[in-house]
Amino acid sequence: MIELSHVKKTYRDRTVLEIDTLTVPQGETLALVGPNGCGKTTLLRILAGRLKSTEGSVKAAAPVLYLPQKPYAFRGTVLHNILLGTHKKRGEALRLLEETDLLHLKDKKAASLSGGELQRMALCRLLVRPCSLLLLDEPTSACDAAGTELLLGVLRRYREATGCTMVLSTHTPAVALNTANRLIILNGGTIEADGGPQTILRAPESDWAKQFIAGWRI
Amino acid sequence: MEESFRKAFELLLSRDPELLQILGVTLRMSFFSTTISCLIGLPLGTLLGTHRFPGKGVLKKLIHTLMGLPPVVAGLIVYMLFTHYGPFGRLNLLFTVDVMVVAQCLLITPVVIGLSSSYMETATKHTIETAKGMGLSRGRVLFLCLSENRASLLSVVLNAFGRSIAEVGAVSIVGGNIQWKTRVMTTAIMLETNKGKFHFALALGIVLLLVAFVVNVAASWTVREARDD
Ligand SMILES: Nc1ncnc2c1ncn2[C@@H]1O[C@H](COP(=O)(O)OP(=O)(O)O)[C@@H](O)[C@H]1O
Ligand SMILES: [Mg+2]
Repeated sequence: MIELSHVKKTYRDRTVLEIDTLTVPQGETLALVGPNGCGKTTLLRILAGRLKSTEGSVKAAAPVLYLPQKPYAFRGTVLHNILLGTHKKRGEALRLLEETDLLHLKDKKAASLSGGELQRMALCRLLVRPCSLLLLDEPTSACDAAGTELLLGVLRRYREATGCTMVLSTHTPAVALNTANRLIILNGGTIEADGGPQTILRAPESDWAKQFIAGWRI
Repeated sequence: MEESFRKAFELLLSRDPELLQILGVTLRMSFFSTTISCLIGLPLGTLLGTHRFPGKGVLKKLIHTLMGLPPVVAGLIVYMLFTHYGPFGRLNLLFTVDVMVVAQCLLITPVVIGLSSSYMETATKHTIETAKGMGLSRGRVLFLCLSENRASLLSVVLNAFGRSIAEVGAVSIVGGNIQWKTRVMTTAIMLETNKGKFHFALALGIVLLLVAFVVNVAASWTVREARDD
């Protein structure tokens, strides 16, 4: 569950995010889309408690898990990375690695993984842990089509098993449309369109949103 | 110069008992000064570098000022604390190796805090963002920040060791340069210089440098180990 009201984030005198109200019921999956710099990362970091909003109130369910936009490898092997702080979950870690096609890399140093492999590992590292709010910043940006499919499958199962609320940002239309039951288009820090993906596709709320979706070419 | 080098090697090879004793005191003192100031300074420096709180700016300036604390002043402060009538006079520690370690920690801990905090400020951004995102506890995040950067932090430790082994002002005030007890390499060098035995003093200096070199080689070897794992 998420409740934002009158949230505003400014750097010096520049407003990068301004959201009047946003309510996300428990269990919903929300996709954030919009051009570079529209405020997706800012919003996710505010929800994750990593960034304080300049104004307004933010309520979010806990515990929260948050995947930063830039995947990061800790020292040590892939398996060590995944089990950090949760050593009893070995079986579950192995299952996740299997499902994301990383099992053969489990004893490799995490720092030596390719971009797409690292991104999959970063997601496994989150998903061995339970949460009620899952925040993912461009979780498939470095993955090819096959890698993206694997990740979406794992995400779907995690969501079903935990009933968590999920918010993810993406530049890939298919990711937004296949995972989310709600779509928000951000533009210059404000919400340009908000609703069911099919509704928005059929009848965008504004000209800007219409043009943005036309760029998707689906 | 040539004579000093010859003397230095003669000294080392002769296994002169007094020289060995002085070397032993020096290494013992530097080991404890370095260890204690790093055990205090590295976690504090990491906390300072990775957290925001009111008064942080003032605290940083204070630490940077303390980084420039003249050793004789540190020695004087500790001397006044541990002298017979001072607040810790009952401990009877003045002119012991223990109190030399205390004085050196006063000097070196701010350096360790200052260096590690400015390094950690920039180096731990992704570590913290990722670890907090995983819901890890504060303690574990701190530990991760330290262990992720252990190769770079080792150079802070070496800097601390270098300062400790080379320091003379504080240890001569609180240690008193007592033969067979609190005399270390630097105070011995000063004594020989004052006596006019320049070649012998320089020989001692060369021995000191050799010891520092061996420690540095051992440490850089550890760094390589840490990088490879
Ligand atoms: N620390 C910062 N200082 C100043 N401006 C920032 C800072 N962080 C982000 N911004 C600005 O905020 C805007 C939104 O950024 P971001 O949320 O990262 O966009 P997105 O993730 O949608 O690409 C961008 O214009 C960016 O330049
Ligand atoms: Mg972003």
